[in-house]
Amino acid sequence: MAATSFPATPVSRRTILRGGLGAVAASAVGGPLLTACGGDESGGNAKEMSFWNFYGPSDDQGPQSKWFISLVDEWNKNNDVKVKLRYIPGKDYLNGTTLQTAFQSGQGPDIFLISPGDFLRYYNGGVLQDLGPALSEESKNDYLPGLLEARSVDGKVYGLPMEIEPLAMYYSEAAFEKAGLSEADLPKTWDQTLAVAEKLTGKDRYGVMFETLPGYYQNFTWYPFLWQGDGTPIKDGKVAFDSPAAVQALKFWQDTIQNKVAPRKALGDGGGDVVSNLGSGATAMQQSGIWAVADMRARKKNFKYGIIPHPTPEGGKPATDLGGWAFVANAKGKNPEAAAKFIAWALGSTDAAGVERQRQWNTVVKTNVPPRKSVQAAADAKGAFAEGVLKEFVSEIAPTGKPEPRFPPEVYQPIADAIQACQLNAADPGKAAADAAARIDTFLKTYQGAPIS
Amino acid sequence: MVTTTAPPSKPSAKVPAQRPKAGLSRKRREALAAYAFLAPDSLGLLIFVALPMVLAFGVAFFKVDGFGNYQYVGLDNYMLMAGDDQLWASLKVTATYVVTFVPIAFVVSFALAMLVRNHFRGIGWVRSAFFLPHVVSLVVVGLIWQFLLVDKRGALSKLLAPFGLSDVSFLGTPSLALGTYVVISVWFVMGYQMLVLLAGLKDVPKELEDAAEIDGASTLQRFRFVIWPLMRPTSFFVVVNSTIGAVTGLQAFDLVYVLTKGGPARATSTVVLYIYEQAFTFNNMGYAAALTTVVVAILVACTGLMFAFTKGGRFDED
Repeated sequence: MAATSFPATPVSRRTILRGGLGAVAASAVGGPLLTACGGDESGGNAKEMSFWNFYGPSDDQGPQSKWFISLVDEWNKNNDVKVKLRYIPGKDYLNGTTLQTAFQSGQGPDIFLISPGDFLRYYNGGVLQDLGPALSEESKNDYLPGLLEARSVDGKVYGLPMEIEPLAMYYSEAAFEKAGLSEADLPKTWDQTLAVAEKLTGKDRYGVMFETLPGYYQNFTWYPFLWQGDGTPIKDGKVAFDSPAAVQALKFWQDTIQNKVAPRKALGDGGGDVVSNLGSGATAMQQSGIWAVADMRARKKNFKYGIIPHPTPEGGKPATDLGGWAFVANAKGKNPEAAAKFIAWALGSTDAAGVERQRQWNTVVKTNVPPRKSVQAAADAKGAFAEGVLKEFVSEIAPTGKPEPRFPPEVYQPIADAIQACQLNAADPGKAAADAAARIDTFLKTYQGAPIS
Repeated sequence: MVTTTAPPSKPSAKVPAQRPKAGLSRKRREALAAYAFLAPDSLGLLIFVALPMVLAFGVAFFKVDGFGNYQYVGLDNYMLMAGDDQLWASLKVTATYVVTFVPIAFVVSFALAMLVRNHFRGIGWVRSAFFLPHVVSLVVVGLIWQFLLVDKRGALSKLLAPFGLSDVSFLGTPSLALGTYVVISVWFVMGYQMLVLLAGLKDVPKELEDAAEIDGASTLQRFRFVIWPLMRPTSFFVVVNSTIGAVTGLQAFDLVYVLTKGGPARATSTVVLYIYEQAFTFNNMGYAAALTTVVVAILVACTGLMFAFTKGGRFDED
């Protein structure tokens, strides 16, 4: 009989235990990375383009999901190169790994959505397609000043904005009434904000609320307070963050926490979630964006609220941040030219159908400020901004805005750390600003990508 | 059943002598069965864990931009670590978490295991109740606790209100956030660790305890001199497993990500979260891979030391 190749020594429990623990130790780190690197299908053949987004087709089949589906259906009816939607839940799209791992493995989508905060990362990665050849001059001229420039490098347009989302301060009429305050008490300055918030703060309610979770969104909401004092993180390619404007803006947010008039942790989805915070009575004033108007309309229809521009420091100027996502095409995708054409058609068409499509998106299924003049005119004709908070957003707040900065992560992160340290850990704003400036400066010395603005 | 043993009696002249049947010995068959049982899991580990680990080790020598471009940089990614203050800060957070979470989780779980060791009416319900948190997704666990710990309005704030502590923000205050995270983690893992320890306790012979009791040993002495020595291997397994979980397990990432995203002011920015940020926020995949290999090396070294000092959890055995 041939000798077996198996060892005669039985496997002991101790051996298994040792091996098992070794494997657990080894797999512990590999596991999360492995799951993070799950493969993704993208596209299909050259006659089909994938379009990754966080709107549709979603399970809730809401109006935003339906808008995306009908957009693609309309395109597919009239074009040989088809578009296929892939829905990725917002949290994964914004902070997850799906998009990044797909691009790393060369399987990125043909068309996708991008925020200003991510623009340079993808541009410098060489995956953004020039949309210029697909865009008519008429279409380019239809965009409000500055919007295309924020998504351009060397005069070439790499993204078409789908919306403008300015920020403002929301307030609860009921909370003001309960505290014996009237519209005349609505704060115009930072000092007034702190004083009024103190009066509004009670057993179950904070007077004012700003975002407290670290991340892109928190930076986005803080920039207006920096701009109010004429500050900026980078000027002419050089760091400018260590400035009185940055220090006072950091201190203002810190004061709201130190004075115990603002929460350290927001409810629901965070600082931008007006329904869960202002709408629940947890706060009396809250900074958020124009999108909250649609949210309140859908989920807190009878809640009485108003908006005011961001309060300013003494001698400061009004400012807001004009956020908004854009459609972009993958230059390394399966059909970049067709993808660019799709984007130009979907967001940039100047014919009646194209304008109506944009009007629907910006004023019916969502509440945004339209990025195009013709769409604004069509919305005005329908009375979309004739009254209420939307009128204030368009007429009073948006004109004071700047497009959201396109800072790469190496610039955004030091600023985020400074905001967090001052707001929640009582750090010295002067030192925090200087530390952040030093880190940004170190990065800029070796940075070789597109201009940062 | 196949036997290789010759019959004890003398073979009869009419019946030919029975020759041993060809085949594997019992020991070999058992070994074969053991390897067959281990094979599926081992293959899975090899393909889905070991191979990616080897690849990650390779990636650590490259600058990877997140868009499929690789540039060989030798040991640069490792050299960067020395001057990376945020890495050291995140390692400190993880170390603080490990040295608080592991012992607390062990003591609580051991106490629970002792509590539900002996049979009493409704024991099944009690055990299930303790184990229940472990079957819930960590994301859901995070959301539940977030709800309980809401500033001013959470259940805990309401409980503390009579003591003038309704303004305490457990997840929004840097000095409290990590401690809160330890408490939630203990609540999450205690049921699982209790079950493992309970299995160990079931192996402690009742006769030994009875004999000690007859000899006049108190409850504490019976625990100290009978139960504890026999529970050392199981305890060792729990502690090692718990340490690994605390450094790189789900609670080191999922829970932090849902609850605080590493905040407030980086107070809960664990090393795994930092690696994730490097990979997926900064697109520094090569650096993230290098960090991963270092964390694995630290873990393997710690586990090795634990094995060495305790002789694989047997402590005083030869």
